[in-house]
Amino acid sequence: MTTPASPSPAAALEVTDEDSAASATPGTPKGTESRSPGRLAWTRFKRDRAGVISAFVVIFFFVVGIGAPLIAKVYGKDPYTTYGMNTPGLFNQFNYPIKPNGGISSDFWFGIEPQLGRDVFTFLLYGIRNSLLIATVAALLTTLLGVVLGVTAGYLGGKTDYFVGRVIDILLAFPQTLFFIAFWPVVIAIFVAPTDSTPVWLTVTSLILVMTAFGWASIARLLRGEVLALREREFVEAAKVTGASPARIIFKELLPNLWTPILIQATLLLPTYVTTEAALAFLGVGLSDPTPDWGVMIQNGAKVYQDDITFMLFPGLAMVIFVVAFNLLGDSVRDALDPKTKR
Amino acid sequence: MSLSRRNFVIATSVAAAGSTLLSACSSGGGGGGNTPTDGATSYTGAKVTIGTKADSTGPAPEIPGAKKGGTIYGLSPQDFSHLDPQRIYYAYNSTAALLLHRCLTGYKTDSAGHQTLVGDLATDTGTASKDNKTWTFTLKEGLKWEDGSELTVEDVRHGIERLWAPFITESATYVQLALTGKGAKWRDAYEGPYKGKHLDSIVTDKAKRTITFHLAEPKPDFNFTLGMHSYAATSPKLDTKEKYDKLPAACGPYKIKAHTTDKSMVLIRNKNWDPATDSIRNAYPDSFEFTFGINILDSTDRFIADQGNDQYAVSIYKEVPAERIQKVLTDPQLKARSFNGLLTGLYYYAINTKRVTDLKVRQALNYAWPLQQIRQIYGGPTAGEIATSIMSPDLIGYEKYDLYGKNTKPQGDPEKSKALLKEAGKLGTKVVYAFPNDPTYMKTKVVIENALKAAGFTPVMKPVDQTTYYDQIQQINNSYDVMWFGWSPDWPTAFTVIQPLFDGAVIGNGLNNISQTNISWINEGIKKNAVIPDQKEAGKAWSALDKRIMQEVAPIIPETFQRRYYLHGSKVGGAQMDPQFASTLLYKTFVKA
Repeated sequence: MTTPASPSPAAALEVTDEDSAASATPGTPKGTESRSPGRLAWTRFKRDRAGVISAFVVIFFFVVGIGAPLIAKVYGKDPYTTYGMNTPGLFNQFNYPIKPNGGISSDFWFGIEPQLGRDVFTFLLYGIRNSLLIATVAALLTTLLGVVLGVTAGYLGGKTDYFVGRVIDILLAFPQTLFFIAFWPVVIAIFVAPTDSTPVWLTVTSLILVMTAFGWASIARLLRGEVLALREREFVEAAKVTGASPARIIFKELLPNLWTPILIQATLLLPTYVTTEAALAFLGVGLSDPTPDWGVMIQNGAKVYQDDITFMLFPGLAMVIFVVAFNLLGDSVRDALDPKTKR
Repeated sequence: MSLSRRNFVIATSVAAAGSTLLSACSSGGGGGGNTPTDGATSYTGAKVTIGTKADSTGPAPEIPGAKKGGTIYGLSPQDFSHLDPQRIYYAYNSTAALLLHRCLTGYKTDSAGHQTLVGDLATDTGTASKDNKTWTFTLKEGLKWEDGSELTVEDVRHGIERLWAPFITESATYVQLALTGKGAKWRDAYEGPYKGKHLDSIVTDKAKRTITFHLAEPKPDFNFTLGMHSYAATSPKLDTKEKYDKLPAACGPYKIKAHTTDKSMVLIRNKNWDPATDSIRNAYPDSFEFTFGINILDSTDRFIADQGNDQYAVSIYKEVPAERIQKVLTDPQLKARSFNGLLTGLYYYAINTKRVTDLKVRQALNYAWPLQQIRQIYGGPTAGEIATSIMSPDLIGYEKYDLYGKNTKPQGDPEKSKALLKEAGKLGTKVVYAFPNDPTYMKTKVVIENALKAAGFTPVMKPVDQTTYYDQIQQINNSYDVMWFGWSPDWPTAFTVIQPLFDGAVIGNGLNNISQTNISWINEGIKKNAVIPDQKEAGKAWSALDKRIMQEVAPIIPETFQRRYYLHGSKVGGAQMDPQFASTLLYKTFVKA
């Protein structure tokens, strides 16, 4: 660490809450209008072309996910009907689409799924919807839990720090995938009678809870370290001297300095969760087949790509674009929030 | 694929194969690489003949172009679960047993898959008394164990007496039942060979090399029964009891050189095996090297790539999966390296008659079941034929019938099903369908769920862990209504299908009557048909019983009679499917020059 990069935005952000007119003294050297740090960040962000484009891409994915049922209605298909099997002439005898490019036609814009014959377009829309829902909620919860526990442990120190630290150690050392595979059926068996289907909401909730429970440790440990370094700094001491409460110090002094790692972690988490959820589904403990799932779709595509590359192409490309765009967006937001970065 | 001990529970994940037979029903027309396929179309089991003494005399007929030497490599996802012959009932284990062990009788298979029952250890297929209660076999001369000691009638007797040993629980039970006549309590009749006592019902004459079985009940097809590996010979001197499972003594053409569980096994030539005593096995390669733990997609891709030692490799048990079948059958070079055959057994869905008590509901399930869609997921018409009966075309006396319109409406008949449910006042009945959570059945479940919903049921889908699948559904108090299942006959008579699956005496945990059918006229019919001496007559009677069961009880939904395709490397010759065990006939393979 060279110059303390943190105090400045901290101080700057602090100003936002107060009336910024006060800080906009007429004596500003360049004579520009007064602008809040949020606004400055926004301007910086708008100047970042890659950031803006990826923001649009990410928003597009979320809109598509949320609007999936609507789009499917307009388009006139659903992701559950096995069109390829019901309508003769779509499949050859090996259950691969007869038409080239995975059976793309005016009826099936992205083609049909080999073997089961479902519509790829709506299946992908619903897959994106389900995966994004699970991943977003899990990522938000994980970040929240990680931030609260990490910052608290780092700031309070002592016994709290020790206790949280050991929990983090255990969680990080835990073979979570194995644990999930072993215990998920048991948990489901407790909640679901053997003569009932497992409701989708239970699967989704348990997925989110488990991913959150195992995911917060790394982000918490990272933030704890940051806070340990920050809390000895002059500006925190100054705040303490002026009599600020611990809550104020955490939220107003420390947290603004932590946005960078938090944002980076959170933007990394979301795509990771999309893939984790897919991996679990593949191992038989996540969402299962009639429920559309982005990851499961890619897994299925990987098995048939030699004969029908199109089926893998659409979910695969969509996933790559989404992950890249999301990471770029996270990067740009970080850059925009941190005025020290030079472009 | 289960590790089920029961040999003939067909225990694999499905997929594969090719035929022209039913392409008319396939949904596709022409298009994308849709060259006609020409898989096996004729069943050979029902035409099995009983060979003469000349047929039983070795050596086995030479295969044109074959030569001795080299190593054949075998690839498989899993290891053989048992090698002790008395513990072998699961078909996959028999693939290895054919190279190591010998029974009194065995099947001689020609290049077209036609089978003849011949004497293997015995000079012929045995002589029965008029009432079929006494069977006598004479042993060939020059039979030896791998250590050079002579194989005698006492070794054959010991092989059967060992079945009473407490550690042997996986065997077939036909011979035990026939010898004791005590039904499920056969174990009480004899204490096992390790305390020095022998079974009274088996008489041996070492000088004349004869062994005589005195059965408690007439068994006209007892010589078929003795061809099962559970009844192979074991020498009392070489018997290491529990340890025998790891390293059994061989009397077949190969012996075990090394075996690392779940990883690999190497077989080398057994120098004491005399080809002149064996009319079944050719044994051209000097050794076999098996590698386990390779999943089917990977091994198929290795066969397609055909690199290095994979050129000398065969798939020992697993077929080409549905995802690759188009590639294999439409590429002439790959197709030339494939072989295929029809399974002798039936895949079906057992309906738990204790839970689904209303016949109309069971019939409605039969009408509703989407057989065509299921077969499409298995790989289309190439994967086999839609089944409409309990008996497969491979059984003596098979007659085709179609009670539930499965040939006219293979995709299911929701209207008829709904009408039946309405009649019974059971519209919206909850149906719990259990299946192994293998990728293939996770797919078939989708079409089954759709079809059941359309037919007025409330389906509940229950994936069950595939390694314990059989154990779970074979619990009689399970909570499943419909269960995926498969069964192959142990020899080509319907007794070996209908008795284990529908006899009320075999309802119990771990037993195979999982539909829990217990109806007096079925039980009596089984007893009556089993003793009909003429197999043709018996076949007719079985077929009639089969139809009546499906009409008046409908305890199962027959699914498919499957066909499988296998691949081998470019330097492997003589690869063909063993119709008996639905695997590769390893003893006929050879290394091409």
